[in-house]
Amino acid sequence: MPLINFAAREINYKIVYYGCGLCGKTTNLQYIHRKINPDARGKLVSIATEEERTLYFDFLPLTLGTVKGMQTRFHLYTVPGQSYYNASRKLVLQGVDGVIFVADSQITRLDENVESYLNLWDNLLGQGDDLSKLGFVIQMNKRDLSDIFSVEDMNELLNHTGSPVTESSAITGEGVFDTLKVVCKQVIAKTG
Amino acid sequence: MARRKGLVINDRQLDRCDELLLKLKEVSGSTFLALISTSGQPITTASDTYHPETLSLASLAASSFAATQQLASILDEHEFTLLFHEGKSLNLHVSQVTDQVLLIVTFGRETQVGKVRLYTQRAIEVLRQIFEGPEDENPPAMDVDFESAAGDAMDDLFKDG
Repeated sequence: MPLINFAAREINYKIVYYGCGLCGKTTNLQYIHRKINPDARGKLVSIATEEERTLYFDFLPLTLGTVKGMQTRFHLYTVPGQSYYNASRKLVLQGVDGVIFVADSQITRLDENVESYLNLWDNLLGQGDDLSKLGFVIQMNKRDLSDIFSVEDMNELLNHTGSPVTESSAITGEGVFDTLKVVCKQVIAKTG
Repeated sequence: MARRKGLVINDRQLDRCDELLLKLKEVSGSTFLALISTSGQPITTASDTYHPETLSLASLAASSFAATQQLASILDEHEFTLLFHEGKSLNLHVSQVTDQVLLIVTFGRETQVGKVRLYTQRAIEVLRQIFEGPEDENPPAMDVDFESAAGDAMDDLFKDG
């Protein structure tokens, strides 16, 4: 559930980009930060290693503006994708309203995708939240590369919930905003 | 960043919080105070002239606090209820109010840590009552057209170029 501050006329939603290491989560946030109206975004905060791999999370606040009298914000987070950072992923997931699972479409990344997808559901179920209220989208990323799975195959492997699927190339920006829009509309519809 | 069960703040709660934060700022000699959710969202702030970037501050403070709780768990400690960072000119004090709310206090080197801790602890007892009091019998509701209006705003904002 979002934080609704009726007194201050504010509503805040938390969106988390999840997926295996190097699948493009941070690239999604960097593209959004670069392309969105600067008045609508805050600072992009990254807690990363010296090699620029996400250590804890990236954070980017977006302001949708005043909607029906409510200042509406989306707080975008990424998680560290490498498998040994699971404790950090659990912390970032807490209080989440919507998840974008970023799947790396390359055939060579199949095992990492499946491991990350199962890990996501393990962590979500472990929180004990009502998952019927959770927005969820699968973003099939790196569609611009060769040697990739078909959307149908990936859907069969990674979408046991029958959730909405988008295609993207985060590095060029293709599909990045489309994906964000799908999950944001979902969380508003589900949590009001 | 602890799990939210849904945090809704009404006018009465916010007024009481604002009043209390201003008083705490005055008696403790602190420079900036913020109430935030444990998920990293700001609720309200009190400051004179010092305005840090509140959204980033709230996100980072909540994350640090959550990590501290996990450290406690690993060390077989029940919980660490506060987080303290000492700087050359500024100190940061983060403490837990309820399982959904944290209090951030910043203060300069000229202010005694003990004084801040004492008054903060007293303020937390009052804040806890504000957030853990009985729920509204008639809670406010979102505008029925919020979803469609938000959808239009997103179509406008989330576009390339």
